[in-house]
Amino acid sequence: MSVSILRQSLLGANFALAALCAAPVFAQDMAAPTGDVILTVSGNIASSNGNDVLALDAELFAALPQHSFTTGTIWTKGTATYTGVLLRDLLAAVGAKGDTVMLTALNDYLIEMPASDALENGPLLANLSDGQPMSLRDKGPIWLVYPYDDVAEYRSEQTYARSIWQLNRIEVAD
Amino acid sequence: MKPLSRRLLSRSLRARGLRALVAFLISFALGAIVVLSLELRAELRTLQEEPVDSLQWNVTQLELDVVRLEAAVALAQAQAPAQADPQSQAQVSLTELRKRFDLFYNRAGTVTQGTMFAQLGLLEAVLPLKARMQGFLDSTTPLIDGTDVDLRAALPQILASVGALRQDMRVMSIKVIDMNAALQDSRRTGLSDILQMIAIASVALIVLLLGLLGLVATLNRQAARRAREVKRITSRLEATVGTSLDAVVVAGMDGLVIDFNAAAERIFGYTCAEAIGQPLGTLIVPPHHRAMHDAGMVRMKATGVKHVVDSGRMRMTAMRKSGAEFPCELSIASNDSPDGMIFIAYLRDISDAQQAEAALVAARDEAQGAERTKSNFIAVMSHEMRTPLNGVIAALEIIGRTSLDAKQARFLGLARSSSKQLLRHVNDVLDISRIDAGFVALAEDRLDLPALLATLVDPLRPAAAQKNTQIAVQLLSDFPPLRGDPFRLGQILQNFISNAIKFTEDGTVTLEAEMQQIKGDQAEIEFRVIDSGIGILEADQDRIFDDFVMVDPSFGRTGEGTGLGLGISRRLARAMDGEVGVESTWGAGSCFWLRVPLTVAGDVAANRAVTLASNLPAPNLLAPLLAVATSGALDILVVEDNETNRIVLEEMLRHLGHKVTLAMDGGEGVVAARAHPFDVVLMDLSMPLMDGWTAAALIRSEGASRSSRIIAVTAHARPDRMDRFAESGIDSWLTKPLSTRDLAAALTFDTGAALAGPDAPLMDMDRMAELAQIAEPQALARLLAQFQTNMDGILDSIDAHAAAAPSASLAATCHEGAGAAAVIGATRLHAHLARMEALCHAGNRTAVLADHAGLRALWDATRAALLAQA
Repeated sequence: MSVSILRQSLLGANFALAALCAAPVFAQDMAAPTGDVILTVSGNIASSNGNDVLALDAELFAALPQHSFTTGTIWTKGTATYTGVLLRDLLAAVGAKGDTVMLTALNDYLIEMPASDALENGPLLANLSDGQPMSLRDKGPIWLVYPYDDVAEYRSEQTYARSIWQLNRIEVAD
Repeated sequence: MKPLSRRLLSRSLRARGLRALVAFLISFALGAIVVLSLELRAELRTLQEEPVDSLQWNVTQLELDVVRLEAAVALAQAQAPAQADPQSQAQVSLTELRKRFDLFYNRAGTVTQGTMFAQLGLLEAVLPLKARMQGFLDSTTPLIDGTDVDLRAALPQILASVGALRQDMRVMSIKVIDMNAALQDSRRTGLSDILQMIAIASVALIVLLLGLLGLVATLNRQAARRAREVKRITSRLEATVGTSLDAVVVAGMDGLVIDFNAAAERIFGYTCAEAIGQPLGTLIVPPHHRAMHDAGMVRMKATGVKHVVDSGRMRMTAMRKSGAEFPCELSIASNDSPDGMIFIAYLRDISDAQQAEAALVAARDEAQGAERTKSNFIAVMSHEMRTPLNGVIAALEIIGRTSLDAKQARFLGLARSSSKQLLRHVNDVLDISRIDAGFVALAEDRLDLPALLATLVDPLRPAAAQKNTQIAVQLLSDFPPLRGDPFRLGQILQNFISNAIKFTEDGTVTLEAEMQQIKGDQAEIEFRVIDSGIGILEADQDRIFDDFVMVDPSFGRTGEGTGLGLGISRRLARAMDGEVGVESTWGAGSCFWLRVPLTVAGDVAANRAVTLASNLPAPNLLAPLLAVATSGALDILVVEDNETNRIVLEEMLRHLGHKVTLAMDGGEGVVAARAHPFDVVLMDLSMPLMDGWTAAALIRSEGASRSSRIIAVTAHARPDRMDRFAESGIDSWLTKPLSTRDLAAALTFDTGAALAGPDAPLMDMDRMAELAQIAEPQALARLLAQFQTNMDGILDSIDAHAAAAPSASLAATCHEGAGAAAVIGATRLHAHLARMEALCHAGNRTAVLADHAGLRALWDATRAALLAQA
């Protein structure tokens, strides 16, 4: 409950922020990463930080609108609170124009999903589990998770298949 | 009735049982489907949420990650570092090895920590795999996380353990997959079972529902058929009621009209719409009957007792819309309808029928009146003819006593036989009229059958002898003492015998009497008159008993008989509840029979003749009677068939100083009485041929002695038919055996036996009623008026002669008055005048004058009574 209210207020604030400074923030000249790059976003996007690619380190990732929920998964014991950026927010932040999003993991696992599936209660690009950065040995650096416990529809084969871990690349396609 | 109701009951029970069963089956099938569906839904949900494919994937990925790690280890081992250059291939391969290890580590963690296997129920199966991987990670992780030098040194060891792990995992993962496959198979089987059961339940449900649908369709058809039937009956009923000629009015318990058919509209003048809802009382009940109607309705509502309803057909008065009342025939039925008690009135307008009935009655009365007038005319004519005829006969008798020459005697004989013939015819016609008018009263006298038959036959023997025919009497049974009308019985048999003699030459005529049977106090006797004459043609046998039928033409030529004899016989027989008939063979003779029921006499009384004979008065008893003799001799007619009795009576009367004339039977008595005015007639009641009743009545009806005192002589200790005395005009009676004293007393007026005296009723109402019945109203009025005028004249005449009393002319006038009073039924006046007459004859002046004093008052009273009558 409290999570949901928090999420909504955050979303509202983000939208307001996005509306106010869409053009200047997502210009060509987005800040370049200073640390290890944990995620690169490419394809049909409006803003990048070099070579039409947006490369995000932990610091830049943390600057994006943050979202979190607590859930269990079929791959982990017990529940954990996952924190990160909603795919939806990320796509908005990069000014994605395409209909399809392709996500690729370090182990070359690849999924493809319609951009419209990036819902406000949907996939979260989590980089923190219980507040701790996730290591490569534990599904890091980024794990696309869903609130499986809260939303019954997400306890499905397709959603499980989309729950890609060790994610490091996103490409927005037409 | 019983088997039917049982059958119905068992059918309804069966139907109820069937319904319960069907309901149970449907519920069961539905329940099963619901339960199975829920189970299926749960199963499907589980299936949907299960990471089944993910298991396959993960196992494969795990294996792949191990293979990649092995490849990375092998590559790192192959590229021994030349120098410590971070960009060197050896360094890069180490970094790659570490990344591969991390990826495997992550994968292994997913397998060992995830709930996937637990959810799939494969936790047990995975345990060895987990232990094996954990072992590998525990031994290898410190090496990976160590320095590059140490790692490089451990590469051969790591390569060996990765190779071993890959082989072990291959075996174990295949096993897990096999187990999963088996598990999924069983689950699919379970799912399939559920689906199959659902399918079975669904099919069963569908079958049941189809069955029910069929049942519903059948019931629907039945209901429709019943509805059609009901409609058909209803319309037929409506047509029946609608076309009824009788008005049908239906009303409820509240008296309001519910239905009003077409005939009711026509009869009452209201339309159906006008009538419905109106109170019956104000609609069709006439105002003066309304209170009664309302009271009846209230009573019925209160008590439920129905007086008019359901009590059949009755006649009432009803009212039309115009207010006109009309007679109707009505019956009301009640019925318990679902809406409460209703009354159905069937009503028929009978005003036309009543008019027709009245017209019919009028026509019948008119016809009967005409018929009566005709009969009366014939009777009166015959009657009127008889009086002069009697005169002729009497005159001829008197001429016969004078000296006649042969020629005169011959013509006198012709005249006498012709006049007697004529008298017979007139009597026949009178008889027919009397019988048809129902005026024949049958006597219930004691019958001495042997004597009666002998008496019948004897007078006819000379006639038979002339034709050389023998008459025989045969009694074929022993007869108990019987009662009946000897005169009428004799009349029938005499007619049979006379006929038999007429048609028989040189033969025999036999009269037989035989008792057929006795039932209670009724004995059926058959009389037969059998002759050996010419017989009767079969074609004629049926009609000879009809009036005016004469089968022998020669018979008609001789002028004998009217053809009424057998008709009279049949009428008399029927009046006695008997029957007559004939059996005959042409040329061989005839047998006429009479079957008649006669009453068996209860008491076996002794022969009256004997008792009378034994009561001859002793000479010493004659003395007191001399006084009577001196008071004046009476002219007395004795009518008595028994010779002994006749002689005794004559002797006693002569001793009393009276003048006596004898008659041997009723008929002779009547002739004598009519020819000569006697003071007193002593009449034996039981005589054959014509009894005393009849003779007395005939004497009273006309002739010289019609005002004479008639005293009956009877064997009955106490006459049980007092009314008949008055009817026949008998004044008093004497009981046998007679004593001279009784006789003397009866002949004076000191006896209490007189019927008519001061205490006698003023008027004989029966006589008046009889007159009213016989005569037309106008004729009766005229008769009464004439009687008053006549009587006024007579009273004036008596007053005028009273000074010279007692005189013969006063006696004659009194006689005339008494006769007139008797005719009209003025009993007391008749008695008074008759006594005056007798006193005149007796020469008792004082008594005559005493009676004369009260005469005027008596006449006034009588006249008042007559006026009251008129």
